[in-house]
Amino acid sequence: MSVQAQLGRLPINGAALPIRLALRELRGGLKGFRIFLACLMLGVAAIAGVGSLAAALVQGLREDAREILGGDAELRLAQRTAEPDQFEFLRASGAVSSTVDMRAMARRIDGEKRGLVELKAVDRAYPLIGRVELEPPMALAAALGERNGRFGAVVEPAMAQRLSIQPGEAFQVGEATLELRAVIKREPDRAVGGLGFGPRLMISVDALPSTNLVQPGSLTAYHYRVRLAGAAPVRDWIAGLNERFPDAGWRVRASDEAAPWLRFHIDRLAQFLTLVGLSTLLVGGVGVGNAVKAYLEGRIGTIATLKCLGAPARLIFRTYLSLVLILAAAGIVAGLVLGALAPAAVVATVGHLLPLRAVDGVYAVPLFTATAFGVLTALGFALWPLARAQQVPAATLFRDLVAPGHARPLLRHIIGLGVIAVALAALAILTASDRKMAVWFVIGAIGSFIVFRLAALAIIWAARRLGRVRQARLRLALANLHRPGAPTGSIVLSLGLGLTVLVIVALLQGNLSLQINESMPRRAPSFYFIDIQPDQVDELDQMLAALPGATNPRRVPVVRGRITHIKGVPVEQVKVAQEAQWAVRGDRGFTYAAAPPDGARFAEGSWWPKDYSGPPIISFDANVAHGFGVGIGDTITVNILGREIEAKIVNLRDIDYRSFSINFATIFAPGVLEGAPQSHIATVKLPEAEEDRAEKVVTDALPNVSAIRVKEALAAANRIVAAVGQAVQVTAGITLLAGALVLAGAVVATHHRRVYEAVVLKVLGARRRDVIGAYFLEYCLLGCVTAAIAAVIGSIAAWLIMTEVMRAPFVLLPWAVVLALVVGAAIAVGLGLAGTWHALGQKAAPLLRNE
Amino acid sequence: MISSANELARRPPHAILLKTRAKALYRWVTSRAVSSSPVVCMTLASHADIVPTATATAAPLIRLDGVHLNLASAAGIVNVLRGVDLAVSSGETLGLVGPSGAGKSTLMMVMAGLERPTAGGVQVAGHDLVAMNEDALALFRRDRVGIVFQAFRLVPTMTALENVAVPLEFAGRDDAFDRAEAALGQVGLGHRLTHYPAQLSGGEQQRVALARAFVIEPALLLADEPTGNLDGDTGHRIIDLMFGLAERRGTTLVLITHDAELAGRCSRIVRMADGRIASDAVSGKKP
Repeated sequence: MSVQAQLGRLPINGAALPIRLALRELRGGLKGFRIFLACLMLGVAAIAGVGSLAAALVQGLREDAREILGGDAELRLAQRTAEPDQFEFLRASGAVSSTVDMRAMARRIDGEKRGLVELKAVDRAYPLIGRVELEPPMALAAALGERNGRFGAVVEPAMAQRLSIQPGEAFQVGEATLELRAVIKREPDRAVGGLGFGPRLMISVDALPSTNLVQPGSLTAYHYRVRLAGAAPVRDWIAGLNERFPDAGWRVRASDEAAPWLRFHIDRLAQFLTLVGLSTLLVGGVGVGNAVKAYLEGRIGTIATLKCLGAPARLIFRTYLSLVLILAAAGIVAGLVLGALAPAAVVATVGHLLPLRAVDGVYAVPLFTATAFGVLTALGFALWPLARAQQVPAATLFRDLVAPGHARPLLRHIIGLGVIAVALAALAILTASDRKMAVWFVIGAIGSFIVFRLAALAIIWAARRLGRVRQARLRLALANLHRPGAPTGSIVLSLGLGLTVLVIVALLQGNLSLQINESMPRRAPSFYFIDIQPDQVDELDQMLAALPGATNPRRVPVVRGRITHIKGVPVEQVKVAQEAQWAVRGDRGFTYAAAPPDGARFAEGSWWPKDYSGPPIISFDANVAHGFGVGIGDTITVNILGREIEAKIVNLRDIDYRSFSINFATIFAPGVLEGAPQSHIATVKLPEAEEDRAEKVVTDALPNVSAIRVKEALAAANRIVAAVGQAVQVTAGITLLAGALVLAGAVVATHHRRVYEAVVLKVLGARRRDVIGAYFLEYCLLGCVTAAIAAVIGSIAAWLIMTEVMRAPFVLLPWAVVLALVVGAAIAVGLGLAGTWHALGQKAAPLLRNE
Repeated sequence: MISSANELARRPPHAILLKTRAKALYRWVTSRAVSSSPVVCMTLASHADIVPTATATAAPLIRLDGVHLNLASAAGIVNVLRGVDLAVSSGETLGLVGPSGAGKSTLMMVMAGLERPTAGGVQVAGHDLVAMNEDALALFRRDRVGIVFQAFRLVPTMTALENVAVPLEFAGRDDAFDRAEAALGQVGLGHRLTHYPAQLSGGEQQRVALARAFVIEPALLLADEPTGNLDGDTGHRIIDLMFGLAERRGTTLVLITHDAELAGRCSRIVRMADGRIASDAVSGKKP
């Protein structure tokens, strides 16, 4: 006896009977279930894969946390070093390494090429944890040490390329001439710094003075990493540190929060991709429902026979429910295997592009989540046909009635369906890091289902109304859309949902790219010049004014500091809204001004008199104020180089940071910050052809000034958007694939009827191209109408996401809509005709004889 | 009223009225009592009250009183049965003949509890079928009625053995496969147990169907043109087998056929026309 046959003979007991019967039914093969399995597999694989990859990255973040942070704890001070007693405290706690971070310009000796770099000056203890890998391989100390009167330097490959220099050649930074000794292959704590404006340049702290870059007010950050000697938890150590130096004004991070921004972005991207994956599952669910319905319609005879033999309706329901669950388990397991392999696959292909290590492994939580999504989707879409199947009357056997009739599912099945839908929505929301976005997704998904369902009904209704056209092909095509049992409904729903996701993704990506590549550069200045010393401002102003084509030059003083108290309460104790968190994360720039910035828009209050003198008052960002829960009259306390200044808010400004012009969340009235160590920032807009020359002129004359090219910063942002876009496209592509699969399944389901129809039409004198023409029209109509609806729904959704979530302007891109139409029609016509081509080749005689 | 379930096993009662939702009790009673007590009425549903009206020994096995059946069709209401009165005694063999559309199959469906009459009473083996709900009717068929179809109606994904065992499995009987094997042996298919319907000839398939119908030891066997899909010789062998089994077990047999010779083997021939009984004659064959 075969294994399959043995499976059906499990020991007899009541509970096992439905499973036993289901296993026997499965001997009939998986023929009708290929689409079912593929749909579930795709959806589950997408969700499990995204989740597993995110988990692998978070695990990498966790495992490498000390290496990423560079120690057990990190202290950051802006523009000043730790006091001797503070440093002693650190030294007494364990090993200490100090580094200085700032931006600088690197120039080739001949001055022909130059570029902005993220400079990091390191001491001999660096790195405390991990190793800097260099090419050619050498010790870091050897690479940075002084040799023949020149200090060494190592750079990221991008900078060596930019300056076209090789190891062994010299280049300049600030006023120092350095020798490039090697290229950085791996910097253990690279991720902690976040995104830089330029490639890394690493030198020894001993070499720093010779650059003459560090001047009062220049944007330097001093980092102290501590590797604790004792076994005390790092949190306790930090508590002790803060108790000992309550007013130090440093930012302290422990290794358990090495790169919070990275964690945040991994979570967000993973959630977005998970929702796209869930769309795949929902689209696939339509295929699941179709497969179950078609299968059960083929089993009417068996169901009626079993009823004749005394099977109660409930047994029928449980039997086929078991069958669906067994098959769903197979599809889900296949999806889980694919999903679990995703981290390894990504590491193997694009691992080198990831900012951190993905730890290979099987992650239970994402697999469990994906399983839950898979089971609920399969149940949700299979329940309706299952409920109807159990009502097949046994009397069917005595009549030739094959029509399943319109048995209404029982109340308990309707309730069951509701429970499953609620569970699915709850799971989507509860597993999301951004609940609000998930809630909108759920609302959008339900809305889309309803709209496409109604659209299908409208198409069927319209096809019926228009059915009497003279043109024979069109009449046949219209008839095929509305005849009983036509798959119009499921094709519109599945293809429509898939195309909607495509339109949303295309529009979002197109809009972001438009923002970065066109809208922003048009308004943005060409350059940011930073670290301008107060004694250099006149020279710089003159230089900028003299640049040919220079427009809109602006310059403001900058003082670094951090917000320590909001309304007198320490920020750690204030619940700051997500969108305002950045303002209290680390230190920020503050400026002061007598006159309001150009084009300032006041949400509340008004600017101070030009000759204001009195207690400290500030102008504040309206959005941040909202996130802080403060308004006019409330106070903000700022720590500038250890000195606390409490200032009262007198007005709130609406700031558009996307303009890339100089914007400060906080502007002080004159009379407070003038004495603080400060530097200036200047911006200017130039014709593109003048940019290189301007950079050379300014940085040659003022070697300590760094020039940030906005175009390059935007290009860097664009690369990130493009990379994220690719991940989203791949996931959205899977959704569309699921839609295509469902469509293919629906076409296959009508195959028998089409063969018969084609034969009859040919017998009646229709030419091959008449039949093909009718089919082409049918699928073209279906594809185009569906795509048009998808374009509308997708555009509305993308508009909502852009304007409500991203708070950016939205432009309807015609190509995205055209793309949906073309792809939709191509998929529908391609798969539809491929499925019916065979029908045309059928010889009429054998079929007619059989009938 | 039965005070305990064990009492039921010790003292098989004349009739049992059982209303329970407790499946275990229900199954227990089914397995022990059904063969020894002529009347067992039970339901899993609370709303279907079943009242035993008579015992099998005193009344005919089948009793139809003024059965009317109207079916809705595209052309309107069709009166398929127009007042059928019929009583069939236990052990009788009844041939149901008549032209197509006379209502033979519908009448058979009414007897099997597959179709509910629009009006009239239907009692089979002491059960008032009109008062029973769908699930109760399914259980009634499982325990009391065997059906043989022209198109065999074997489940294609089950082996011969499993096809025969299915009704016993529904009843939760531990010996389902042993009894099924014995039943297949009786129809001469002891060597074909693990074959699937597609691997069997038409005659063999109908023999499996016979084994399936008889394995539950039904009080009533309904056969709808059982030889319609078979050639002459094979059909004869099937009929011999069917009559033999019915006779040996005292099963009441109702047979629809267009074959006059076959009808002639029945003890009684009922001819239907236009939804009514046109004639009802004893053929002289011994019941």
